[in-house]
Amino acid sequence: MPLKFSPSLFEVNNLRFERRGNLVLKNGTFQILPGEYCAIIGPNGGGKTTLVRLLLGLEKATSGEIRLFGCNQKRFRDWNRIGYVPQRSALIDETFPATVREVVAMGRYPKRGILSFESDEDKAAIDKAMVLMGVSDLSSRLIGNLSGGQRQRVMIARALASNPDVLIVDEPNTGVDVESQHRFYELLRTLNKTDKLSILFITHDIGVIAEDITRVLFVNQSILVSRNPAEMVTCDEMSRLYGNPSHVICHNH
Amino acid sequence: MLEMLGYPFMQNAFIAGLMIAVLSSLSGSFIVLRRYSLLSETLAHVSLVGVAIGLLLGMSPLWMAVAASLFASWLIEYLRSVHGMYSDSVLALFLSGSLALAIVIVSLAGSFNASLFSYLFGSILSVSNEDLWVMGIAGSLSVALLLAFFKELYFIAFDEDVARAGGIRVTLLNFMLVSIIAVIIALSIRVVGTLLIGALMVIPPVAAIRFGIGFYPTTLLSMGIALVSVVIGLSASYLFSLPSGAAIVLCLLVIFIIALVINRR
Repeated sequence: MPLKFSPSLFEVNNLRFERRGNLVLKNGTFQILPGEYCAIIGPNGGGKTTLVRLLLGLEKATSGEIRLFGCNQKRFRDWNRIGYVPQRSALIDETFPATVREVVAMGRYPKRGILSFESDEDKAAIDKAMVLMGVSDLSSRLIGNLSGGQRQRVMIARALASNPDVLIVDEPNTGVDVESQHRFYELLRTLNKTDKLSILFITHDIGVIAEDITRVLFVNQSILVSRNPAEMVTCDEMSRLYGNPSHVICHNH
Repeated sequence: MLEMLGYPFMQNAFIAGLMIAVLSSLSGSFIVLRRYSLLSETLAHVSLVGVAIGLLLGMSPLWMAVAASLFASWLIEYLRSVHGMYSDSVLALFLSGSLALAIVIVSLAGSFNASLFSYLFGSILSVSNEDLWVMGIAGSLSVALLLAFFKELYFIAFDEDVARAGGIRVTLLNFMLVSIIAVIIALSIRVVGTLLIGALMVIPPVAAIRFGIGFYPTTLLSMGIALVSVVIGLSASYLFSLPSGAAIVLCLLVIFIIALVINRR
């Protein structure tokens, strides 16, 4: 039973989603608590991105209930408490006339009123996010002129600029080299452990973050929740999920 | 050369031209970045249907053009955003459909071909004081709305999904933007012409983007290009007895080619 005054970041009950009559997701009942580092895993086409889009209100659930920060999604207005880095966000139009700073500043737009100029608070939040992601020295460069890894960091800086309570990152390592990937995982760990930022992370590289995560959502049309870290990434579970024999190798950072 | 500014018709032409330059380049930046450039061309053709209906029924062609353009812009945006149709397909549908409808209406009536012809190419040199007032009021409102929601429209142009996830009212703002563009185009075709307004809306931002600068400087540069083209185009029109709309567009093209040569990459 859902709690009346839920401390959850996300609380999902009996979520079901169909697209043009085809079932995409069912049995969605789970909650994610503040401070958690939650991995969303599953095969391609299993519904991971759809689940995130449902949480963000970008898709409308066929049935079921989604509560954000204890508030029904339909009445929820504090969207800037959620930072979102979508899938393939680094693959942007190379000619788009936007500097790195302009892109990071977008993260503050939902907080600002109409016809408003950047406040000192806005400037400080933008600078802090850029420093954190190591993109300050790229400030005046055009986003289209950056490498895939640099663009990825800019997009995360944009998400962090709103000072969110939770960061949702959807398969961010497409087209990014291995070294940048490891720096990225390290950064997520720091954000979660040191800055107490909750993280929802769609990934296939479960082994790399296995030591950090507190919860796993297995998504393959159905949503299975695993809470106990010890049972999160067993080979049996992975094999069942992906439909092939799978092995999990945990990396030491 | 400055003597031309002593003539009231040239004063009106310059005021109208400069207003349209600001309006079209400001709103044009957003449609170019969203790969929606043909929207201006399409709505210009739809406006022509409004003009034809207005002339046929003896109603104000200007306001009928505004009504037709607004209605079409909402339908286009509805089909794109709600039904998920490809933007270019929807625009192609309306572009050819509206032109066909305009031709049918013209052939049915037959008596106002000459009037309609002036809307195809515009007549900036016969802008009345009343035209200026209408453009001034509608234009001021459009600029106010564009500036008020400038950063939100920029965010949407860059990443519609993330803007929506951040709580920005994307659907409402998209409808607002196409409505503003519909009104600007309908009011401008009298002056610049159906066949040329698209160029004034698209070429300045396309040329400015070549310089590889941020969005805000790009928008200002785009506005500067449009203003300079209007001034040079109108002056050339006066000095060499050229059609004003065509002179402005040719000037825009020259600036675009210069931008292309300077910024080869």
